[in-house]
Amino acid sequence: MSRDCMEIVAEGLREYGSGRERMIQLLTKVNEELGFIPPEAMIGIAEALSVSAAEVYSVVSFYSFLSAEPRGRNIVRICSTISCAMQGQREVLEAVRGELGIEVGDTTADGRVTLETTACIGLCDQAPAMLVNGTPHTRLTPEKARGIVAGLK
Amino acid sequence: MERKVLLAENQPELGSALRKALGMTPADVAFEVRDAKLQGRGGAGFPAGVKWVLAGGASGDRKYVVCNADEGEPGTFKDRVLLEKYADRLIEGMALGGYAIGSDQGYIYLRAEYPYLVPVIEKAAAEMRRKNLLGANILGSGFSFDIELRMGAGAYVCGEETALLESMEGRRGEPRNKPPFPVNAGYLNKPTIVNNVETFCAVPHIILNGAEWFIGLGEGGDSGTKLFSISGDVERPGVYELAMGSSIGELLDLAGARDVQAVQVGGASGRTIKKGDSARVLSFRDLPPGGSVIVFDSSRDMLEVLENFMEFFVHESCGQCTPCREGNARLLHAVTALREGDVCCQECLQPFIDLCDVMAVSSKCGLGQTAGNCFRDMVGGFVELPLECNCEGGDS
Repeated sequence: MSRDCMEIVAEGLREYGSGRERMIQLLTKVNEELGFIPPEAMIGIAEALSVSAAEVYSVVSFYSFLSAEPRGRNIVRICSTISCAMQGQREVLEAVRGELGIEVGDTTADGRVTLETTACIGLCDQAPAMLVNGTPHTRLTPEKARGIVAGLK
Repeated sequence: MERKVLLAENQPELGSALRKALGMTPADVAFEVRDAKLQGRGGAGFPAGVKWVLAGGASGDRKYVVCNADEGEPGTFKDRVLLEKYADRLIEGMALGGYAIGSDQGYIYLRAEYPYLVPVIEKAAAEMRRKNLLGANILGSGFSFDIELRMGAGAYVCGEETALLESMEGRRGEPRNKPPFPVNAGYLNKPTIVNNVETFCAVPHIILNGAEWFIGLGEGGDSGTKLFSISGDVERPGVYELAMGSSIGELLDLAGARDVQAVQVGGASGRTIKKGDSARVLSFRDLPPGGSVIVFDSSRDMLEVLENFMEFFVHESCGQCTPCREGNARLLHAVTALREGDVCCQECLQPFIDLCDVMAVSSKCGLGQTAGNCFRDMVGGFVELPLECNCEGGDS
């Protein structure tokens, strides 16, 4: 059971303070705990930082790692930039899509995994690569990637 | 020529540069970095020491030192390697910056894609504090300086220094109008130096060995060494340290490039060169060396490569200014049109080349200003237009 989002916001405010410059840290905290940033959290942060809720939403919408929509418990980000694309990224992506039965950008019906592609993650020397919840997996093969994704709870 | 300084096995004792600098005046520390002609290692090449001298002379009750650890240029991973192994040297370089400009607070802005480096950096900072090389009253000198880690949230444009500052202030990462420059009005409107990871890592070596020594490391009038991340069709992808001003051919030999068709120097925003260009020089005088080098062998379809880059720019344009937001979308469309034969002759192509020029002169920041480079280079050098053309020409 995930914690109440206002509780998380309050904890963030105690940790970081309510300066305007703390907004992304507060948003990231909520995003990490809940997987997304619900409207109530955005409104709560807006009030605490004395800015409009629209401004908070505009910040959320700007960054790839922040989400206003609920997402899966695990986020799989497969690098689609050229060095990975040249080393078999397409086959890896196909394998993961097949394993999960979803398209890029979607979440499995059981809320287990969200699949995304991402711009360069700086692992080009170990391509193809992906991040699973921030943990890098490198030198992927379709089989290896399928196994990693199948093991996610 | 391969020349290891930042990646050398034997590093100078941690804190020795700081100890030496604390016996100098802050202005002399900034002058030493300026005289070393240390150009920004993130890719823009602006002289770091000039920023330091300007920020040191700027008036402000507080000043800030910011490390740009938001490397996101496709094909770049040199800063990841530096952070993994030399985070303590980086922090020492930042402390030297703090001393030089009169700042007691530094920030490392780390890209969201590198969360696994957070414990590495925090451990290095804790070790520095334990040794009194960071924190209050460093080495009993009366100078205090500490750092805080700030995470990005996934946006390439935040590698642009004013977008980075906007992001640090909790806003969308949209580049600011300049002037004012960060050295006068940076983080929270205070004088701020923003430098790349590699730039800060070079500073302790400069302070210990002097500006003349650093200049002597370069070739052909260039200064220092430079790290290159090389990937693609090479036998030994990885990070190499070469004298600044080395030829691209030397790097390709080190990494074991084979059957080269093209080399992308400086990432998606950089330049594309051909097989025969191996004497071209990795230098701000010739091929701006941000740190990304990607090799394409003769089997690669360069139009596919171009499409990948243009998709990247369409996704990463912040959308604030029209030339970049619309221009990149049009260039991506042009790649499809080229593939399908809808752009079939020089006349059809010309409006898109003109668009690259418009983007270069009218975009607000480096993203839009450089996004057309790969289009111009790849279409000009690797895409053959049909000899016979049946179109009416012009307006496609």
